[in-house]
Amino acid sequence: MTTAMIDAAASADGATGITTPRPFADVARENLDRLYGYCVHLCGDQTDAEDLLQETLIKAMRAYDGLRDPEATKTWLFKVATNCARDRWRARGRELDTVPLDAGDADDDFSLFATIAIEDPFPYSDELHLDFLRLFEDEDVQAVFATMTPAFRAPVLLTTIHGFSCKGAAAILEIPLGTLLSRLHRGRKQLERGLWEYAVSRRLVTASEET
Amino acid sequence: MIDCVEAVRRMWSYLGASLEPDPTVELEEHLEVCKRCCGELEFSRHVRDLAATSSEPPIRDEFRDRVTKLLAAGHDRGAAR
Repeated sequence: MTTAMIDAAASADGATGITTPRPFADVARENLDRLYGYCVHLCGDQTDAEDLLQETLIKAMRAYDGLRDPEATKTWLFKVATNCARDRWRARGRELDTVPLDAGDADDDFSLFATIAIEDPFPYSDELHLDFLRLFEDEDVQAVFATMTPAFRAPVLLTTIHGFSCKGAAAILEIPLGTLLSRLHRGRKQLERGLWEYAVSRRLVTASEET
Repeated sequence: MIDCVEAVRRMWSYLGASLEPDPTVELEEHLEVCKRCCGELEFSRHVRDLAATSSEPPIRDEFRDRVTKLLAAGHDRGAAR
């Protein structure tokens, strides 16, 4: 093993104790774009997202104490952002984590996989399901995200776009793992239904009246 | 053995490698005998990828400059301590 490899291995493993705490500015810059994207989703608006990100960075900067594990630092930054968002929502008389009693219930039986097969929007396609997904540009997916219940959207975003494990996402949202898994499933179902309804409403596909 | 409803329920956490060992084994046993759920799992993988790779709006240059200054000021204060 070369010296460079040993250095790389040491810096990747906080448990060795060899690493030194990284400056907050480096950690923040490294996570800035992802954190901003998360803030946009939490706020639903770019101006609010900028305010939220700034507040997050100021709070995190004050509390930062040289966390050595990069993954733990990332989780912690997202947690700070979530808590800041929660406070902002509360100040406006809303709750970030509220789960409407009927939310998601109607989506639970919905299967996008089955719907596409039944509706058959591309009769001559060999890749029916993939062709459906190919209809969606980034802005279309973002528009569908925006229609989702925030409490169900956050687990989907954290575990897909931001690459957190379910356990990590549960820690960020400060909910038990079982609750996270349930909300992830409901979020997934909302996303699937949202994709179908978006495609129908934009006339990207035609659907029978039943769906 | 778990049914299709339960199998579908477990798929996203399975794809995210977040499913516990026992539920994973149960799901994989179901997949061995259920062709429909294999299709659903493959499709779920693509839906998940679509969500994961969708780009978010970029940070405005002006705001990025503001953040850079904020971080630099914080760094200087930290160094002065």
